[in-house]
Amino acid sequence: MKCKTLHNKLIFFLEGELPEKEMGLVKTHLSECGTCAAFAEEMRKTLGILEAEKSPAVNPFFYTRLKAKLENQGSEQKQVFWKPALVRVLQPAIFSILLLVGIYIGIKIGQPASTKQYTATLMHNQDIPYLNEMASETIETSLME
Amino acid sequence: MTEVEIIQKLQRGNEQAFKELVENYQKMVVNTCFGMVHNIEDSEDIAQEVFIEVFRSIHKFRAESKLSTWLYRMAVNRSLNFIRDNKKNKWFQSFEDAVQSKNAELSRITTGDSENPEFELENSQRAILLHEAIDNLPQNQKVAFTLSKYEDLSYQEISAVMDVSVSSVESLLHRAKKNLQKKLYVCYKKKCI
Repeated sequence: MKCKTLHNKLIFFLEGELPEKEMGLVKTHLSECGTCAAFAEEMRKTLGILEAEKSPAVNPFFYTRLKAKLENQGSEQKQVFWKPALVRVLQPAIFSILLLVGIYIGIKIGQPASTKQYTATLMHNQDIPYLNEMASETIETSLME
Repeated sequence: MTEVEIIQKLQRGNEQAFKELVENYQKMVVNTCFGMVHNIEDSEDIAQEVFIEVFRSIHKFRAESKLSTWLYRMAVNRSLNFIRDNKKNKWFQSFEDAVQSKNAELSRITTGDSENPEFELENSQRAILLHEAIDNLPQNQKVAFTLSKYEDLSYQEISAVMDVSVSSVESLLHRAKKNLQKKLYVCYKKKCI
């Protein structure tokens, strides 16, 4: 048996899945070839990790933690029950109202002052006759008093 | 309590039945998840999600398959989802987090009998190497290999869990072992350990 052939069959040899005749051939090769024997040993050790990992220690608090998680998820579900309604209906409604209010305020601020009111004020000012105090009373008269 | 009694009581919302179910199948579910994700904390979290799903959807269980088959299926599916989500998150994981998780994995494997630290370190390196080789297998091969090696399930049982024929399981396991052997040989040549 060639080394390459053995490399293809080694895992099945280690698992005892080869026919009897091939098992014999692999055994013979391993006893003769040091390199393949070293690889076989390495492979056996690595695959042996699987056996060691098979039974992890049982966590004694597993059920307690599970129960707490179950209760937490239950209360979370109750809390968020009304949230979709809030998100889908109330939120857009509130944003729309805010937008409309903003637009209204914007229009009000941007509107030019009424021209009618300005004209009325101007006319009222024109009614008052211009009084030139200096013409009716000279400065000398004023100082004399 | 028999399996049928547990299911019937659980369908009526009996808490004691749920406790018994968890006690009976906890090791099996955690072990299956561990075979898929190779981390005990993550596998316990996934196992808890599995039992929560069982509690919520036990009324859907029609006893067409064994309860254990149903649990195995859920454990495998949840683990695959976890791996998929984790892969996405890895892109956003910082380098420090990645190093921390690797260190945690190393310390988890090396804790225990520390009389021979060199042997412990070698074993931990072997474990990481083996996990990486298993993780690199195609999904179906990985599932079949995990159920076979970690849970010692027969071809028939694996075929029931994976919903494929027995000959497919045989072929999947054969290819999985060949791929694993190839990866381990490459690593041996490169002197990974």
